[in-house]
Amino acid sequence: MNPEVPAVLMQLAGVVGRNAMPGVPEAERASDLGLTAMLLALAAEVWDGAAQNLVLENRALRKLLGESGQDDDFRLSKLKPENDRLRALLIEAHVAAEQAGDQARQEAIWAELLASTERRKLSVSLL
Amino acid sequence: MPGASDVTVEAMERISGGASRETYRFRATWREDGAARERRMILRRDPPASLIETERRVEFAAYRAFHGSAVPVPEMLWLEEDEAALDHPFFIAEELAGFQAAPQMLLSGAYDAVLPVVAQRKWTILGEIAKVDPAKVGVLEVMQAPPADQCWRRELDYWESMLDRDQAEPLPIVRAAIRWLRANPPPPAQKISIVHGDYRTGNFLYDEAGEIHGVLDWEMAHLGDPLEDLAWGFNPVWAFGRGLAGGLVPQDEAVAIWEKASGLKADPAALHWWILFNCVKGQGIWVGSAAAFNRGGNREPIMIYPAWWLLNTQDRAILKVMGKL
Repeated sequence: MNPEVPAVLMQLAGVVGRNAMPGVPEAERASDLGLTAMLLALAAEVWDGAAQNLVLENRALRKLLGESGQDDDFRLSKLKPENDRLRALLIEAHVAAEQAGDQARQEAIWAELLASTERRKLSVSLL
Repeated sequence: MPGASDVTVEAMERISGGASRETYRFRATWREDGAARERRMILRRDPPASLIETERRVEFAAYRAFHGSAVPVPEMLWLEEDEAALDHPFFIAEELAGFQAAPQMLLSGAYDAVLPVVAQRKWTILGEIAKVDPAKVGVLEVMQAPPADQCWRRELDYWESMLDRDQAEPLPIVRAAIRWLRANPPPPAQKISIVHGDYRTGNFLYDEAGEIHGVLDWEMAHLGDPLEDLAWGFNPVWAFGRGLAGGLVPQDEAVAIWEKASGLKADPAALHWWILFNCVKGQGIWVGSAAAFNRGGNREPIMIYPAWWLLNTQDRAILKVMGKL
């Protein structure tokens, strides 16, 4: 999730605190708290599966890229930079496959991109 | 208001939403020619950091270009670009009161009987926008006209540069889409039109009969290929989960309405190019929204929700348009 969940939760704590004070216009309070509620619901939704999704995705990307290794530190703050590194390499691999006209390789990369998009799908997705 | 005296501003309240501008409604009262006057108005002010970075002057000119025409827009009253008065540039416009804008309301079921009317009006108005000669409505001073064969490149270059600047993580799907767009450019624009830039369900005011009373949110207006404007509303994100163009009617019906109103043709291959481009543009906006939050310039919840809500949905839309989903 971008922005990252901890930074958002910290910000929302401030928003709730601000709206707990007297004198906030009703329309502004309703807008702030309504959005805050929706964001908290999304944070709750991604909480349980966040590490699992990154581990699965990193594993699939390493296999696709021909890399060995595995995740040993399951903190999100460690898994996410590794995921970013692997996805950057995937872009390079995709470009190389297109330039080489390697259809099978391109299809394998698209399959992983589709799978990763499904993993990240939220209940509020419009599509 | 050179002849006005005793000017007062009353009942000011902020309107929720508005990630690119802060919007307030208020009532102005004053005396003029010995009589008491009153008018409801809208104040739109630049926030510290915006979902969409545009010049207020361009938006103001776009509204003015269409006031009193077949394209309904609120009357623009004053533009202030000096930051001295309210810390940021702002403009004041008349308020078009008594209408709805929310797509959630329009698509809730309560308006189902008039959705075909809304669709007819929506794409007829867009056709009217496309039909206008920019040179005749005074926008050339603030909007640069690209060569007809360079419209696509200018827009794609711009939004790719925004993604380069704002991305917080690698974006393999949108990068693949950009490579495809560059390898398969569309034909030159049929004409250079004013492009609203955000013409979708949610950015116009409607009533219970399905009539449209105001087209809003012109902050991304520019000159370019009119197919860009038609295609923005066909970004699958704006189907709001209903599988219909703008959540209203099948896409071919919308295209037919637009072609009749504009007198232009929507070549299917060119339209497909512009729909995929608009998916890239959409991702540029959502990524930019997250970046504005991450940079600390604007940390309001409205900057977070589009990113969390739409980043994955927009990737899914790209996959769908590219035939991968």
